[in-house]
Amino acid sequence: MRSKILQLLICISGLLLSSVQAQEPMTPQEPLRFEGYPGAPEIKVVPRKDKLVFYPCMMCHAAMEPNPEIRQLNTPHNSEVKHGRGRIWCLSCHDLKDRNHLHTLLGEPVDFNDAYQVCGGCHANRQKDWTFGAHGKRVANWQGPRTLYNCTHCHNPHDPTIKPRAPSPAPHVRAGLKRVQGLPHEDTPSWMKRQEQAGQ
Amino acid sequence: MAVVGFILDSIREMFRGPREYWMWLGALAAIVAFGAWNYSQQLMNGLVVTGMSDQVSWGFYISNFAFLVGIAAAAVLLVIPAYLFDRKDIKDVVLVGEGMAVAAVMMAIMFVVVDLGHPDRLWHLMPVIGRFHWPISLLAWDVLVLSVYFLLNLAIPFYVLYSHYQGKEPNFRLYFPFVVIAMFWAISIHTVTAFLFSANPARPFWHSALLGPRFIASAFASGPALIIIALQIVRKVTSYPISQTVIDTLALIMTTALQISLFFVGVELFTDFYNEGAHAASIHYLFFGLRGFASLQMWIWVSLALNLVAVVILMIHPLRRKIVMLNIACVLTFFGIWIEKGMGLVIPGFIPTPLGEIFEYEPTGIELGVAAGIWAFGILIFTLLAKAVIAIKQRKLVRSR
Amino acid sequence: MTMDSDPKGKDYKSALARRNFLRGIGMGAVTTVATVAQPAWGGETFQDAFADFFQKDYRRMSAEEIDAALGRIERRAKRRYGVDIDCVNTPPQEGVVFGYAINISRCRGYRDCVHACVKENNLGRDSQVQYIRVLELNDGDFNLEHSDHYYDPETVPVEGKHYLPVQCMQCDDPPCVKACPVEATWMEPDGIVVVDYDWCIGCRYCMAACPYWARHFNWTTPEIPAEEINTKTHYLGNRPRPRGVVEKCHFCVQRTRKGRQPACMEACPTGARIFGNLLDPDSEIRYVLANKQVFRLKEELGTDPKFWYFSD
Repeated sequence: MRSKILQLLICISGLLLSSVQAQEPMTPQEPLRFEGYPGAPEIKVVPRKDKLVFYPCMMCHAAMEPNPEIRQLNTPHNSEVKHGRGRIWCLSCHDLKDRNHLHTLLGEPVDFNDAYQVCGGCHANRQKDWTFGAHGKRVANWQGPRTLYNCTHCHNPHDPTIKPRAPSPAPHVRAGLKRVQGLPHEDTPSWMKRQEQAGQ
Repeated sequence: MAVVGFILDSIREMFRGPREYWMWLGALAAIVAFGAWNYSQQLMNGLVVTGMSDQVSWGFYISNFAFLVGIAAAAVLLVIPAYLFDRKDIKDVVLVGEGMAVAAVMMAIMFVVVDLGHPDRLWHLMPVIGRFHWPISLLAWDVLVLSVYFLLNLAIPFYVLYSHYQGKEPNFRLYFPFVVIAMFWAISIHTVTAFLFSANPARPFWHSALLGPRFIASAFASGPALIIIALQIVRKVTSYPISQTVIDTLALIMTTALQISLFFVGVELFTDFYNEGAHAASIHYLFFGLRGFASLQMWIWVSLALNLVAVVILMIHPLRRKIVMLNIACVLTFFGIWIEKGMGLVIPGFIPTPLGEIFEYEPTGIELGVAAGIWAFGILIFTLLAKAVIAIKQRKLVRSR
Repeated sequence: MTMDSDPKGKDYKSALARRNFLRGIGMGAVTTVATVAQPAWGGETFQDAFADFFQKDYRRMSAEEIDAALGRIERRAKRRYGVDIDCVNTPPQEGVVFGYAINISRCRGYRDCVHACVKENNLGRDSQVQYIRVLELNDGDFNLEHSDHYYDPETVPVEGKHYLPVQCMQCDDPPCVKACPVEATWMEPDGIVVVDYDWCIGCRYCMAACPYWARHFNWTTPEIPAEEINTKTHYLGNRPRPRGVVEKCHFCVQRTRKGRQPACMEACPTGARIFGNLLDPDSEIRYVLANKQVFRLKEELGTDPKFWYFSD
């Protein structure tokens, strides 16, 4: 009887000790910071700041009270953010206090010339493709130093979808011959046609 | 030298004859001149004067080329019975057949030359001074086999006729090996021409193992058709005896060949239409039109009708033995196969293009004019050669002592 | 590998010096002959025409003969278009084999590539040759026979359609090279399938053999407005071509051998086109091949194209 109580006491104290040990404070570790992709080529990015109409933004915003509340703005520029269907708004990318910079998801300041670092926070696959050359546009040469266009060169971050535009002219046929317009190929797929017929 | 005398005497014989003969030569020469004028327009302005395009980059010229190589190969249908089966009656006319082969090969080569964008660069084909891409390029093979066949069909008759001219019997042992070579070579010229087309997986309509056999079968139907007509004309205008058994044998060969040729057409239709995939687009376009385009449809059905009517006539023995019906069958076969090989084979290979575009082709007046000129030239060559051959065979042309 | 714009360095400079020297002699000879001989038929001086006729094929010409040929090309362009052009013979770079990839999710059917190519490569405006053709396909359908080559809507991309640009695939087992009876077309060491326009006899067998409809013929002499002529030319590339010969995309050999992008790639605003050295493991094209689901057209024909497509 006595040995059994002893065994129980030992078990309980062991449990208490281990739980006490688990609550000891741990050495703080540095969180992982994105520092680019391993093996990524050296790239230069075509600057964007010279193309920004209202830069440096603090010219006006230094005198304005920063307001972090998410609201519909009525600003002289880019008041509507057609980016993400309401998932983000201006201050998701623009810094609240320092309007001359953007910021990453972790709050690090990003220069306008490095806007791709902001885009890559959500569009990570795209950023990887862009870094290694499967997305985006490289300037002038295929060999030698790589200069790429920034994301914002093609995609307006406030309205990123690329709008349709007129195509360049269709091909001609050989000089002296005329092209005859044939019948277009049947657009409706066969499985849809069957469905339509069955519905009738 | 006796050879020079032989050549000069032969040429003199070619340009000797009654008024009708000169009118015939004159008419042909006029068409040749017309063709030459058309070709000069093409040389001046470029191939843009034709109806060809990047989409259909081979047209009427190459169609005629393919057909004529077949006619040239069909001379072997006289050579084999004459020498292997020792048919004396056919032996009497085999040289006329070889003359037709010579004319056909010349026409075929001319059709290729007028199709070239840069005929002045023909020397680029020669080995050593140019670059002859043999044995890789099928076109190089075709140039080679056609040239050798041309020489064979010139050299063998030359030797035989020269011997006759000299009053001697030709040495059989000397020329027979070349005859055997010519037999195999005849099959090879048309097989190589078929390979020219069938070697291209880019063109699913051509890329079939059956194309070689189809070419031979259709050649052995259309060739005898032409020879039968030509021999009857020769028999009529000269007093040279051509036995009816020659015509009968050729008619029988033609019947079998036409049956096989039509069987092959049936095989193609089944294979392509039973499970119709994208590869069948060309044959669908040809027989039934595609997406509103159907300019070849009437041609192919007419060709099929011509060949079917011809084969029915030929298969019925009593009909085949009537010379009028036989001649009708020959004309139907000749044109039926001509349409089938040209409009039914060369052109549809390009429609649709490898990128799926349908762009149709129509030969222009200049193309037709040049083609007429070349055909007239070939008939002219055949006439001249036949004239000399017949004269020598009739012992009218002998070496004067 | 050094990345300067003049990879050949000393050799190129000495070749240039030799070329200029020979050009000087040639010019002197031509001037002498011109004063003595009347300009012959077709407006060309007799000496040039004579030398043209006997010109050997590119791969057998010596350096001097090629220089002379370049001079003749430049003079002919001056006579025909009244423009001074520069025709060079930049050799292929060592250790380079070109590859191309198009992201078909990015292509919006603009055809900017088609027209940039026409301008860069001195394509005849009248002869209507275009090296690139953009196909419009229906969504859910990749059958080329259902494609529209002549789409001309108000704006592109059209709803429910996608676009596929096609040009010479620079196959590694090219059926066109096999077909040519005079070996006027061959694959260069850097992978580009080129045509010697002065050797081609215009038989068009290569056009029948090509599964991608990439080869085009000059049915008529290319007409180029003098002010639009690109004067930086290459013997195997965009130098003015004669009538009656075949031509095709050559990956802008006059640009790419000097490290510049082909004109189509430079013109594409969407960045759908990716080009580079297949032998460089760090190149963009190699990244695409390793990381994207690429495919090639008509793969089953065994032509081994160096032109891939992918979507993402």
